[in-house]
Amino acid sequence: MHKMGWQDVIEGRPGDRVLLNGNEAIARGALEAGVRYASSYPGSPSSEIVQTLSKVPDSELYAEWSVNEIVSLEGATAASFAGLRAICVMKADGLNVALDFLTSMNLGGCKGGLVVTVADDPQGHSSVKEYDSRYLAKAAMVPVLEPSTVEEARAMAIAAFNFSEQIKGPVILRSVTRISHSRGLVELGKSVREDKTASLPAGDRFLTKTIFHMKARDRLIKAAGIFEDCGFNYSEGPDKADTAVFCSGTSLLYAREAIETLGLNDEIKLVKVGTTFPLPEKFILSHLRGLKNAIFAEEVRSFIEEGIVLLYARNNLGKICFYGKLSGDVAGVRGPACGEMNVDIMIKALAKVYGIHYEAPGYTPEKTAELSALVPPREYAMCPGCPHRASFWAVKTAIAVDGRNSIVAGDIGCYCLGAWDTGFNLFDTLHCMGAGPGIASGLSKLGRFGLKRPTVTIVGDSTFYHAVIPGLINGQYSGSDYLCVVLDNSVTAMTGHQPHPGSGISVYGRPVNAIKIEDIVRGLGIPCKIVDPYDNFLAAETICAMVREPGIKVLIFRRECALVAARKQRRKRRVYVDQSLCRGDACGCGRFCVSVWGCPGNIWDHKTGKANIDEAVCAGCGVCASLCPAGAIVVEEVE
Amino acid sequence: MNNSEQGYGARLKEEVIDPGFCSVCGACVGFCPYIKTFGERVGVIHDCKVCEGVCYRVCPRSPTQYHVLRQEVFGASEHDPVFGAYKAICFARAGSEHLRSRGQYGGVVTALVTFALKQGIIDGALMTGGNFTKAIPTLVSSVSDALQCAGSKYTSSPTLGLFQEAVKEGYQKIGVVGRPCQITACRKIQKASEISGGKISLVIGLFCMGSLLPEFYSFLKENHLDRYERMDIPKDILFQGAGGDVMIPFEDVRRFIRLSCLSCYDPLSELADVSVGSTEHDPGWNTLIVRTAKGMDMVEKARFTGDIETKAYPPDLLNVLREAVFNRKKRVLECPESMYLDVPPREKDYFLTAGGDA
Repeated sequence: MHKMGWQDVIEGRPGDRVLLNGNEAIARGALEAGVRYASSYPGSPSSEIVQTLSKVPDSELYAEWSVNEIVSLEGATAASFAGLRAICVMKADGLNVALDFLTSMNLGGCKGGLVVTVADDPQGHSSVKEYDSRYLAKAAMVPVLEPSTVEEARAMAIAAFNFSEQIKGPVILRSVTRISHSRGLVELGKSVREDKTASLPAGDRFLTKTIFHMKARDRLIKAAGIFEDCGFNYSEGPDKADTAVFCSGTSLLYAREAIETLGLNDEIKLVKVGTTFPLPEKFILSHLRGLKNAIFAEEVRSFIEEGIVLLYARNNLGKICFYGKLSGDVAGVRGPACGEMNVDIMIKALAKVYGIHYEAPGYTPEKTAELSALVPPREYAMCPGCPHRASFWAVKTAIAVDGRNSIVAGDIGCYCLGAWDTGFNLFDTLHCMGAGPGIASGLSKLGRFGLKRPTVTIVGDSTFYHAVIPGLINGQYSGSDYLCVVLDNSVTAMTGHQPHPGSGISVYGRPVNAIKIEDIVRGLGIPCKIVDPYDNFLAAETICAMVREPGIKVLIFRRECALVAARKQRRKRRVYVDQSLCRGDACGCGRFCVSVWGCPGNIWDHKTGKANIDEAVCAGCGVCASLCPAGAIVVEEVE
Repeated sequence: MNNSEQGYGARLKEEVIDPGFCSVCGACVGFCPYIKTFGERVGVIHDCKVCEGVCYRVCPRSPTQYHVLRQEVFGASEHDPVFGAYKAICFARAGSEHLRSRGQYGGVVTALVTFALKQGIIDGALMTGGNFTKAIPTLVSSVSDALQCAGSKYTSSPTLGLFQEAVKEGYQKIGVVGRPCQITACRKIQKASEISGGKISLVIGLFCMGSLLPEFYSFLKENHLDRYERMDIPKDILFQGAGGDVMIPFEDVRRFIRLSCLSCYDPLSELADVSVGSTEHDPGWNTLIVRTAKGMDMVEKARFTGDIETKAYPPDLLNVLREAVFNRKKRVLECPESMYLDVPPREKDYFLTAGGDA
């Protein structure tokens, strides 16, 4: 029988060769390394690591979905202080949140192996930014390991725990989307560390003091020494070559394929750097000597490039030409240091250095442009029946009726689509988690300087626990005047439906006491109402009334995520268009249901010239029925 | 103004709503997914650019040619520049003591609606329920429903927003009780076949010197005036309740009068079948102006059955009314905000130069 990846991770035996994604491989590596504590705030593309580890019995491994990255890292570090091995997982943006603690803790250091796994998202496939977290690691003086393959991710996870214990400080394991979400064959190993006794003897103290800065520096020096001899840095191809490609992470594969494609295997040396901070200087110097050209391949910015160019400057190595993101030679369609790396970028760069005319097989640029024009534009889209669509429509309606052109400060989650077409382009600002209430609070103070527009902010439920509460307290304390709309769909939806403190479910799927958003809000003395956004008229009417009330106020739009609801329900309500009532293009609504409302369940029948419902897709929410001006959409309860 | 790139929704927003000329009649609401009303405000959510501008066409504050509408409603009937076309002006009150006690003055509106329902002149009516602390658009189909709507409200209920609901529910002969702007809108709606406008079959207009913004509700609450049972504006504002009466100066609420009302040229609902207001003299009676043949027919029958009683309008009081309305219209014609108004030059001259002596 086919096993899920997480089953292979937990039940697989040493020597088994199994297909895992990078996150599962990291989880397996951590298990083999004897990890006892795993915590994370879910964030794509990192979420599957703790999701997988949460399947391990909690007597073996404590797993936690934390409310944000900093408390997550503090918890994992506590386990390290008690001598246990711990992993803390986050996406790149999460490292910002954890950074205050990381920069403090890394001065004094820790004890049990502590691996901070940070998954970057080049190209921002599921993020608002394509952060290169290595620069933060450097600022925090924490060593960085970068796997190039899924298999290496497992091996590096194990090694990272060992390195951490050797230097008595945390180590960052940097993944990227193409590692975390790619699958590869992984040969499983055996557990290397069985001890699971936590002890924190009296006198073991972990403090921060300016003078400990020296300890952090010395730890980096020690790490550099260890990295010189580890197996994660190696070269491929001719020993003596005029040209070398220095690469890290997945760019190893892009560079390798580019070299093969151009038939340059005998001419170019590939230098793979797995320990990107601090750089293994002796190893790199040995490959720099005698080179004429050095090319860099890495994701996202020019991290190893900067390090190696600096190394060159400090040593007398003769003339070497450097080609990378700094020089602008390694660049995709977005230009250097923006967007994801790929084979084409590397081919283009190598061809340029070698003066080779290379034409990619396939279509000419003209043909590509011609064909591209035929492809219908595809916007981001929310799921059928998504409560956020209903919420956004209610907010849009209310702002229009209120007539004062409210400013909408957005926030981060599925609902950041509120900034684009699918969310009716509602947001005026969109930044990081928790930014909405802060911006709303600030704007609401500007009335005295002439700003007339009222302010609304829209945040998610998981975001509420993560970063909104301090903003609300600040707003209440400082006399802000804004409406905070909380879109409560009862899970952390965007990252794969992890539970949060309001869900009433633990990481292990067991019931726990839910911490209700409304209890927190009312506890702050802030008025709070709860409305189902599917009741769209009431939802809009409530916003209209609340936005006119003075002071800070919270409106919770509560409706379970449509995907979660779809998994639970046995039968969904049948929604259909009464063809005798739909007036087609004669209605004057301009095909509201398909062109403006935009739920994938609403479709247009070009033969009849009337609206229809795609029953396979429709979630049965019935909100479109309440908005159709002709009353042509019928919702039928199914017995 | 007439930008062809712009949809009618955008014109409605820019020419009527944003400058504050919307009277929240509700005429543009209900048939379009892009126009909604909450809390006595109307908003255009999205400019559709698709339909032929029904929203804009039925708006009483889009360009309005009164003489054309009059021609359509009254034909060649004689037209009084101050009172509008009419067949009779009299004092009137409900025949039923009970109705009189429920009504603001003589209970004539409630009496006529219930009479029209009973007689099958209409099968439903759009009225305004609630009270002075909250006006509620209401679709009524029975005498008891209609009774719930007795008494004046001084804010802007978007009652016409229920018209499409009435159409969807299958009503064929729909009556409307409304402010003058709503009556003008009704006459425009009647010409809009796309929205089944022909189903409006009786319009009862109210006298109106202006309606108040929703901020008035907050004012009532803040000053604890919402606990009174009845409100009236004989001159200043009178609140009556079991614990006694209180009078507050009209000046206190002047700021709540809608901008759209300050530019209203039609205090007596000139395009209605019948218009009803106070007498400003005897709180037990209404002023009733019968305007169309349809209105006259109904009033005569209602008088015959005893549903209403009438008596002659004292000539001296009629002059007082005439002077008040004349001054009002003159003021509005002088007001530069009355851009929507298209009044024939002769009529304008009557108010602005001839001094009412014509």
